[in-house]
Amino acid sequence: MIHHVLVLVRSELRNERRSGEVATVVIPFGAVAVLIIPMAVGIDRPLLSQIGPGLFWAIVLLFGIVVTQRQSGAAERPQHDLLTLLGVDPAARFAATAIASFVLLVAFEVAIGAITMVLYDPVVIGWGWLAVVLPMVAAGLAMIGTIAASVTSGLGGRGALAPLLVAPIAIPLLLGAAQATEGLRVGAGILRWVLVLAVVDVLLALTGVLTARPLEES
Amino acid sequence: MKRTIEVAAVGSVLIACVAGLAVPPDSVQGDLQRIMYVHVPSAWLAYLAFGITLIGSVGYLVTDKLRWDRLAGSSAEVGVVFTGLALATGSIWGKPVWGVWWTWDARLVLTAAMFFVYLAYLALRRSVDGAERRAQRSAIFGIVAALQIPVVHFSVIWWRGLHQPPTILRPDNPQIDPPLLFALLLAVFAFTLVYVALLNRRIDLAVAEDLLTDAPRADEHVAGAAVTAPQLGDWR
Repeated sequence: MIHHVLVLVRSELRNERRSGEVATVVIPFGAVAVLIIPMAVGIDRPLLSQIGPGLFWAIVLLFGIVVTQRQSGAAERPQHDLLTLLGVDPAARFAATAIASFVLLVAFEVAIGAITMVLYDPVVIGWGWLAVVLPMVAAGLAMIGTIAASVTSGLGGRGALAPLLVAPIAIPLLLGAAQATEGLRVGAGILRWVLVLAVVDVLLALTGVLTARPLEES
Repeated sequence: MKRTIEVAAVGSVLIACVAGLAVPPDSVQGDLQRIMYVHVPSAWLAYLAFGITLIGSVGYLVTDKLRWDRLAGSSAEVGVVFTGLALATGSIWGKPVWGVWWTWDARLVLTAAMFFVYLAYLALRRSVDGAERRAQRSAIFGIVAALQIPVVHFSVIWWRGLHQPPTILRPDNPQIDPPLLFALLLAVFAFTLVYVALLNRRIDLAVAEDLLTDAPRADEHVAGAAVTAPQLGDWR
């Protein structure tokens, strides 16, 4: 099963390298959002420095949905049927799509995070914790997005429905991440928020793996 | 049985209304506090309804029986109504007490998020054709959506906000006077009966909808019409 997952992850990432959907469309789109928000809220450097981390997480949530709903090679009907005939476990397919989305979301977070640092100049203490929080949020968002993509697969209006399914469910991730970053800014403990993120991630992983087969059958 | 529950629901709502108006006003908030007799039961029913949706979703995935899916979908629909009522009554209470209709408190934001999660659940149900396909997909989303429920409940403990922490469901003694607690529990009981009555009716409607969807339309020919006996009218 692990071999299947690795092959599928490589295939997903190869598809992304060829299409460049995240690198050439979603990251620039997110960067534009980071750029235009100060024009809406006012160019006040102390204010922007304070709200920068929160805006970063909001952009990661909203644009991260686009990353998770990108074209997936394994989700196309012929490939999907082929994988079923080859006996690839639906849970392996879920894990592979989620891992590929996770990798792309981490890349997205790093790129948008760097732009936010340059443009907003936020004060962040405890960089080591960010190396924990960023992947945890990416993992949660990747799993919610993968489940939503499977649930809406083949439906009319999927483009509008999938973000509606993902965005409200991802709010605990957004709150946990924003509270953790705020805790780092003011020098408070953030272990509680890391635990919240970890619990949400574990529950999503269990749900995704356990429901992969019924989703396959539907 | 259903009729009995409906009559009991109407009766208990009337009694709860009388009790809610008869008990003394809150020593700090005065009569404003009486809106809690609607707000708290509505919030409780939101949890109950979405918890039942979770049970129905798991039940369908385990048994493949459509009655679990109807239970899940019907409960979510009633739950959305009560969540909307909890948000509206909370907002009406918040204006005179907090000075604003809405504030960025974790409990409020997460309750609104839960409202949208289940609106999305209902939108998903409407998007999927075929009872079994719809049941499977919405069951999975119903399980994922339930992750919100504990987060909403514990938000007042995890985040320091304006919304008060639990008053009744707390480890130490309830922080509420006995007459007010009695009126509140009566309202909770009455609202729960209303929920059960509405849920019963909605499940009946769901059964009728499924029958209607499965029934052949008037303009459809049944399979095998080509080999049924020729009708005399066609030969004239």
